[in-house]
Formats: sequence, structure tokens, C-alpha cells
Amino acid sequence: MSQELIQAITEMREDEALKITQQMLDAGKDPLEVLEACRQAMEVIGKRFESGDCFIPELILAGEMLRQVSDLIKPRLQKEATHKKHGKVVIGTVEGDIHDIAKDIVAFMLDVNGFEVTDLGVDVPPAKFVEATKETGAKVVALSGFLTLAYDPMKATVEALKAAGLKDVKVMIGGGQIDEQIRQFTGADGWGRDAMAAVKMANEWYSS
Amino acid sequence: MSNQTTFTPSADYLAREKRFNDAVSLRKPDRVPVASLAAFFVIRYAGLTHAEAMYDYEKMSAAWLSSTKKLNWDMAPPPFTMFPAPVMELLGLRTFKWPGKHFPVNSPYQFVENEYMLSDEYDEFLTNPSDFVVRKMMPRMAETLEPLGLLPPLHWLSSGYTLIMLGASALGAPPIQAMLSNLAAIGQEMNKVNAIQGKLIQDLAAAGYPLITFAFAEAPFDWISDMFRGLRGAMLDMYRQPDKLKAAMEIFTPFAIQSAIMAAEMSGNKRIFIPLHRGAGGFMSNKQFEEFYWPGLRTVILALIDHGLLPMPFFEGDYTPRLPYLAELPKGKVLGHFDVVDIKQAKKIIGDVMCFWGNVPAQMLVTGTPNQVKDYCKMLIDTFGDTGGLILDGSVDGVPPESKPENVEAIMETAVTYGVY
Repeated sequence: MSQELIQAITEMREDEALKITQQMLDAGKDPLEVLEACRQAMEVIGKRFESGDCFIPELILAGEMLRQVSDLIKPRLQKEATHKKHGKVVIGTVEGDIHDIAKDIVAFMLDVNGFEVTDLGVDVPPAKFVEATKETGAKVVALSGFLTLAYDPMKATVEALKAAGLKDVKVMIGGGQIDEQIRQFTGADGWGRDAMAAVKMANEWYSS
Repeated sequence: MSNQTTFTPSADYLAREKRFNDAVSLRKPDRVPVASLAAFFVIRYAGLTHAEAMYDYEKMSAAWLSSTKKLNWDMAPPPFTMFPAPVMELLGLRTFKWPGKHFPVNSPYQFVENEYMLSDEYDEFLTNPSDFVVRKMMPRMAETLEPLGLLPPLHWLSSGYTLIMLGASALGAPPIQAMLSNLAAIGQEMNKVNAIQGKLIQDLAAAGYPLITFAFAEAPFDWISDMFRGLRGAMLDMYRQPDKLKAAMEIFTPFAIQSAIMAAEMSGNKRIFIPLHRGAGGFMSNKQFEEFYWPGLRTVILALIDHGLLPMPFFEGDYTPRLPYLAELPKGKVLGHFDVVDIKQAKKIIGDVMCFWGNVPAQMLVTGTPNQVKDYCKMLIDTFGDTGGLILDGSVDGVPPESKPENVEAIMETAVTYGVY
């Protein structure tokens, strides 16, 4: 049944995915088995996204399916699933910019790929990034920005993290108008075009 | 604009129009034209803040005229992009946040995307679009318009009896009374804006600069995604209720066409700006683009061409995967503004179809050097110059507000030195 659930999710058959989940639970399957199937399905979707075989509608719908599946299994979970997280990431759209679409997608993909994500929302001042990084002990900070105005606050945030003594924290940037030139301008450690690039970078940084 | 018929264009004005039109028609002009969709850069270049431009119409107008002359591009950028903040305040508009109110004075205004129409409201909208927009959406979009939600369904007011008993009674309700006087003030304020903008356009023309565009149209998918359902909502609808999404798009296809034609007739300006958002590569697959995005956009573009207008789509994001679709469009009838695109592919696939407009990278204009900009412009001229089908500009926002002035000036410098045919 796990296999059927994986297939239903990766083929974007929402109603069926929920039906199978319910059937698995009714048959007395371990809720963790359902979660594991979801994880495997997301791995497939992530790979397809990376290779250009699926796009934002699929990521959004997959997110919706995952949310509904976890609503179904929550009452049956003994305790919060103690998945071993790969590491912590603080993410937000920088000060002055209120665009959230790309940031939300990156946060979601980091989360389903095993990272513990602290999402600070949009229009986040540098001090708030510093505070959250200190509080969580995250080693990776992800800055998002859609507009060209985001270059300066990204730079200011990188500087603020350094000034706060968080020198071993790595910063990645992404958004509509980001490239290598802007990475250098802001002093960030890495930049990427899409959500899977963020996952890859976070994985590399946490394993190095 | 009321003086349209009495305006006698100067030789400079005519030369600039010809240069631009030649490039659009894929004929070699005397040199590569420069025309920009720049907005807040024009304001900063004159030493004003964004907030000043949005709150003080006279200052904005003077700045626009002086920057246009100083930049000396072949077309004047469109001043209507400087939305009037006092009007937005009077409306209690929730669909934007802007400098001087929500942001520091040198931020741009930003659109607040939301589900202004909920997922289960399609039927209501499709049954009676105007009524839904007036009584349901407008109260969500603007605080001042909230009392519109108190009106009875508008088609109920289709008799003298109901007009008196229901309509007139509703108008007497205190919240609606208050709204009516607010509406009058909004109209009066907008009259001021339009008078100053109208005068500015005349002044720009008198100074020898044709206005790049007066009207805009949107792709039907973007209209529903941007304005009604939000990206998330519209993309879920592609899976959950595709037929309703398509039906809603169909309602807005004639609107996109007719409103552009009306504005073109009113202004005498045939150039229609079409900013595009969710059809770019990465947003959806080519298959989804074919099903949901391209049919509506193509219909709008072809209809505008049929009416003798020039569609100027702004292909925001990476349009490389969509180039084969653009190649279907009639030759020399569309001006494509590009943001990110594989230049070699663009030349190969659409080089003989449409004039290439753009695309000095925003990153370079903001953080780079004049020499980098010049090299980039030379590369564009080397690539597209053989047909004459090239107009230079930045990649997004025309040129971004934060661009270094010397980097922007380097575009025109390259056009007049390296870009002479």
C-alpha cells in the first residue's frame, strides 16, 4: 500500500492519496509508515523538479497533500514524529521586500528534505535574522528577495551576522534577480536559482 | 491628449518614432534605438524620492520631464507607473504597499497578492462577474469600498420599483452615505492626477519624445492568478478545478483586448504594454503553458495586431523554454521585452520573428561598471544587429531604481557609438 500511496502522490492524484492514507490507517498500519511513504514521494518530486519534469503547481499540490495526510495521521501518532533532522535553517525575505512565493517553496523543500526550518516571513530586518540564528543555533541562513532593492538588505544581513560573531554560519541567497555578481556584492556564501539548489547547498554545508 | 489633433511633431520626434518603428519591423534604422520601461529610476535620476513622486504630482511631472530630456532615450518612459499615493490612501487600498506609508521613502510600491476570490467562489463569479467584483471583491480590496458589500445584488435593481424601494434605500444607509462622499473625493483627486499626467505627456511630446506606451493588457492566466486567486490558488486550481479556471480566464480575454483598444483610441498611442508573470520557464511545464497560459495570451496578442496595435509583451523571468511558441507570432508585429533568456537561442528561434528589446541584466546595472554594460550592449548589437531588430533597455523595471546612473548612461553611449548601422 505504501507503494500505491507514493504513486498517487507523485502522480498528483490528490483524492486517491488521501483515500489510500485512510485505508492504511484503517488497516492498522503504523502512521510512521505513511510518513515514510510521503518522504519517498517527495524525494521523487524533488528530483523531477530538479530535472525540469515538474514545476510549481506540483510542488504546491504536493505540499497540500502532505498537509492533509499529516492531519489524518496526527491523532494516531503516539508522540511527535522524531525524525532525525539534517540541520537547522533560518529563512526569510529580507527587509523591504514582501514577496513570499519563492521563499515559501524553498522553506517547504528544505523541510521535506529533513531540515528544521525557522521561517521568519517577509520584510525581515537584519537584527531579526541575527536573533533567530542565535536562538536556534542554525548554521545555515537563507535570504530571499524578488526585487533589486533586496541587494542592500541582503548585504546588511550578511554583515550583521558577521558582526554578531556568527562567523561559521553560512548564508545562501536566492530570488528573481540574483546571480554570482550579487553573491559577491552581498558577501553571501552561495546563491541558487531554485529550491533544490537550496537543498543541495544546505546538505553540502551541513556535511562539510 | 485632448490636443492630440493639434500637436505638430518636431523633426526629432518623427526621427525617434521612425527609428523605433524600423527596429520593430525588423528593418535597420540609422542606429540602434534605446527605449526603456524605467519607472522609479527616472525619479531618482532627478533627485526625488519614490515617496515624493507618488505623493506630489507636480514634482513627479517636473522630474519626469527633466530626466527624459537628460537621458535622451528615443521614447519617454511611461509616467502612469507613478501611482498616486493620495488616491490609494483615499481608497484605503489593500492590494499595494508603498513608500512613505508602509515602506521607507526609496522603496518601490509592491503588490499584495492574496486570494481576493476564494476557491469556492468561482461559480458566483462566473454566474455574475460584475456583481461579484463589485459586492464581494472590492470590499476586500479597499477599506473605503467595504460598504459596497451592503448593496443588494445589482440585477435586482432592474425596475423603477426596486430602484426606489431597494436601491435608493440602500444609498441612504449611513455607511453608504459616507462611502459616496469618499468616492466623490477620490474622483476629484484622480482628476488632478490625470490633468497633470496629460499635461506631462504633451510636454514630453513637445520636447520631442514619443511616449513609449499609454495602455497595458495582461495575459488572462495572470489576471486570474495575480488579481483573483494568487499564485498558490491558481496553481491548485489547475489541478482541482481546471474548467472553472479556464472559464474565468475566458471572461477576461475580451476585457484585456477591449480595454487596450479603448486606451489606444483615447490616447492615439498604439503601443500596448503586456507585463507577463506566471508563464515563464520554471513556473509551469510547456504542456501546462500550452493548456493554461499560451491560448489566452496568443488570443490577446493576435487581436491587438488585428486592430493595428503593437503588442509589447514583457517576458519576465526565463523565457528560453517558451521561445518556440513565440516563433508562431506574425513577423515584425510584436516587440518582445526580455528579462532572462538564452541569447543564442533567442536569436536562432525568434530572431526573424520579433524585435528583441532588453536586456542588460539588473544585477549589472546596480552593482557593475559602465564597461561591463557597454560590453553587454555590444554583444546584443553583434547578435541582433544584422536584421535591425534590436532595442536596448535593462532587463527588469526597464532599468532598476537602484541602478548606478553611469551604468544606465553607458547604454545610450554604446548605441550612438557602436550601434550606428
